[in-house]
Amino acid sequence: MKRVPAFAALALLLAGCAGQELGPGYALVRQGRTVAVANGSMLVTAPHEWNRSQRSILDIRWVEDWTLNGPYLDGISFVAGLPDGKTIVRQSKRDDRQVPRFRATMTAPEIASLLETAYRARGGSVEYRTLALAPRAFAGAPGFQLDFEHLDGDELWRKGRAVGAVVGGRLYMVVLDGARSHYFAAAMPDFEAMVESARIR
Amino acid sequence: MAGRRIAALLLSSLVLSGCVSTRQVADLQFSPPQGDYRLLVLRPDVEVGSVGVGGVTQPRADWTDQARANLVAALRAQQAGRGGTMLVAERRSGVPGVSADEVADVERLQNAVTISVALHRYLGYPLPTKRHRGLDYTLGDEAVQFGRKTGFDYALFLHAEDSFADNKRVALQVLGIAGCFVGFCAPNGGGGGQLAYASLVDLRTGKMVWFNVLTAGSQVAGTKMGDIRSPDGATQMVERLMGRMKPGKAVRAAERSR
Amino acid sequence: MSRRALLGGLGAAAVGAGTSAPARIPPSSLHPLIGRGYRPTETDEIGLWQQLGRVEEEVAGSNLLIRDPGLNAYLKELIGKVGGPAARDMRIYLVHVADFNAAMFPTGFAIVFSGLLLRMRDEAQLAGVIAHESSHFLLRHQIRQWRDLKRKSDIFSVLAMAAGVAGGAAGIYTGNMTQLAQLATVLSLFRYSRQLEAEADALGLKLIAEAGYSPMAMSDTWLQLIGEIEASAAQRRKRPDRGYSIFATHPAPADRMIDLKLSAAELTVPGKRYDSGRERYLREIAAIRPMLLDDQVRLNDPGASLYVIDALARDGWNGLLRYYEGEVLRLQGGPLRTDRAALSYAAAVAYPDAPADAWRWHGTMELKAGRPAAGRAALQRYLAMTPAAPEAPFVRQMIATAGGEM
Repeated sequence: MKRVPAFAALALLLAGCAGQELGPGYALVRQGRTVAVANGSMLVTAPHEWNRSQRSILDIRWVEDWTLNGPYLDGISFVAGLPDGKTIVRQSKRDDRQVPRFRATMTAPEIASLLETAYRARGGSVEYRTLALAPRAFAGAPGFQLDFEHLDGDELWRKGRAVGAVVGGRLYMVVLDGARSHYFAAAMPDFEAMVESARIR
Repeated sequence: MAGRRIAALLLSSLVLSGCVSTRQVADLQFSPPQGDYRLLVLRPDVEVGSVGVGGVTQPRADWTDQARANLVAALRAQQAGRGGTMLVAERRSGVPGVSADEVADVERLQNAVTISVALHRYLGYPLPTKRHRGLDYTLGDEAVQFGRKTGFDYALFLHAEDSFADNKRVALQVLGIAGCFVGFCAPNGGGGGQLAYASLVDLRTGKMVWFNVLTAGSQVAGTKMGDIRSPDGATQMVERLMGRMKPGKAVRAAERSR
Repeated sequence: MSRRALLGGLGAAAVGAGTSAPARIPPSSLHPLIGRGYRPTETDEIGLWQQLGRVEEEVAGSNLLIRDPGLNAYLKELIGKVGGPAARDMRIYLVHVADFNAAMFPTGFAIVFSGLLLRMRDEAQLAGVIAHESSHFLLRHQIRQWRDLKRKSDIFSVLAMAAGVAGGAAGIYTGNMTQLAQLATVLSLFRYSRQLEAEADALGLKLIAEAGYSPMAMSDTWLQLIGEIEASAAQRRKRPDRGYSIFATHPAPADRMIDLKLSAAELTVPGKRYDSGRERYLREIAAIRPMLLDDQVRLNDPGASLYVIDALARDGWNGLLRYYEGEVLRLQGGPLRTDRAALSYAAAVAYPDAPADAWRWHGTMELKAGRPAAGRAALQRYLAMTPAAPEAPFVRQMIATAGGEM
């Protein structure tokens, strides 16, 4: 499955045929449980029950997706320790449209731009707006908060927030993305709680 | 019109024998509408075609018009029997109290929710947090606002399709070709048949409270599904799809304990 | 994908393999088969029209459309000029999708992708594409082809048609315009009818010539399209359009270019001065051009994006084009390209029309290159231009901490 922060579903929309691409299914994250996400280098505590996408061989090991109502409606993606030269999605070198590689020297505006390209090139967003980019500490490191919204091929406006930091040349980031109507706002309290709970190990 | 794609999704979740089958999911607290309620049927999506050689369904305007009129009439009679009044909005501009854009926004969210229901309730990608929670999907405050502005208690979304095989077609059925694109669609790959699904949104709470899928192979020997081009067949489909609305589990449990 | 779709008639390959290229069709031999107010009378076509009527309703109500009234009026006027006898019946919808594509549906409505407007250098080129699409409708290509196929009962053709659609089970699915356009292509061409494409080219040429445009505009467009596909593929080190191997094994694009040029020469009036409508065209799209560039560049298809930017820059570089050249290079990544991006930003801000973001990235690059004073100055310039920009809070921090770590 194409793993893009919480818009895996959009890739499905583009593919025109869902189902087969959804991957191996979901496991339960229990309320109050502290979980090591992705490759295990980041810990977060879930304030409520969440569904954790089970890993498949097609996944990027530094990225993990969670959802409450399914990826078409909402999702949180954890990027944990993405090293220099890697991408947040699996892609072929021959794809015409590519999500840029992360670089250890990237500043927040460059990471924001990388995310935008992911939504446009991979998610098929036809409009994308940056709503705010401001400094914010993440996991004890100086980082950023990016707010954005995008209109996708299924005519639905979705809204997102990414909070992250580059620590030791690696990217740590949590991205919430959900339908602008209801679902984004509904998942926001849990997202904020998880961002605040995030620790790098 | 995204209905067709959802239909193709749902179809793969149901056994395509000749039998008539339905599978409904309801909100835990759901009780079927009764008494004095107002129901809005938003752009019912009906399509009837003939399956020709090669397995492609060719749309038939006359059959579609007949079936649509019959289904709406059957639905109206059924809802009246429960005490409800019903408005069928054929166009986005036909809903009182809201603009076409507001209708479109509700439809778009409804579409994404319906895809999610199809994937996670019907297609084998269950979400563990929703286990034993009934349907458990909502259209949120947008639907509540919509209900307030329009004065409706419920919104019903309905998709129904049926197709009838040409004689020549039968020999090719074994190939099971499923090709489906603008104008020419054969999602069931068989010799014609019915597929319908409907969802009910409670506009007072915003929740999608009930969802049902119906399939039937109308051309397979041994089963006879009503022809929705006729009033009787349409009534039969509406009855099968909407007639046996089950209350939610919590409501049923309460009833039992009473 | 849609660039390929636009070339669909050439790409053909699959089913039509083995048939030799059709002889050139002289424009004078073609005439529209329908006039004003055409309505279908036979069952299959009536069914198709009913269904497509609903598709059009969805398209017309889609929030993916660009609703700018001036621009839409302009497109309508243009199809009125080159749409032949049925021009007044045709509808045209401008969809916000960055791809290079346009499609005509059998009921007489066309969708034009915004990516097409980015690439057209003048009105004559756009008129050529619209005339080509109109010709499919005027010649009743879709329904003729559909009937032809049914008559042959060719099971392999049907399979090929099905395979031509992503996933094979896409359905009427108007939530996604990109896919819809692809479906229109399948519907009209079934991917293997070079004959029909040649017909649409020929009649299209005649229509634009009658409207007073240079018939050469159409071959110019194809030349650009082929150039872009090749540039995109070269960037990713692959053969152009590999899946369909149009370019590797098929002389079709070259043939088609030759045919278009020969026919255009036939229709060109010697000594006549043709107005390409360039000024008018640029005026009409001026308001959305930065957005169109942005849409393309952010897809990070550097071969195609640089080709497009260079093509537009043939009419002169400016701050906007230099800025986007920088963006293409920066998104590509890597030290070499980043250095080149920095040069583009520096060049961009030398133009008076440089967008604010050119100053932002110029400043960022200066900071990264260890020149904090120049970086701060550029970022301050950015803030002065757009104090309320969404990125402003972060830029202020960059200025405050310049010289140290980010």
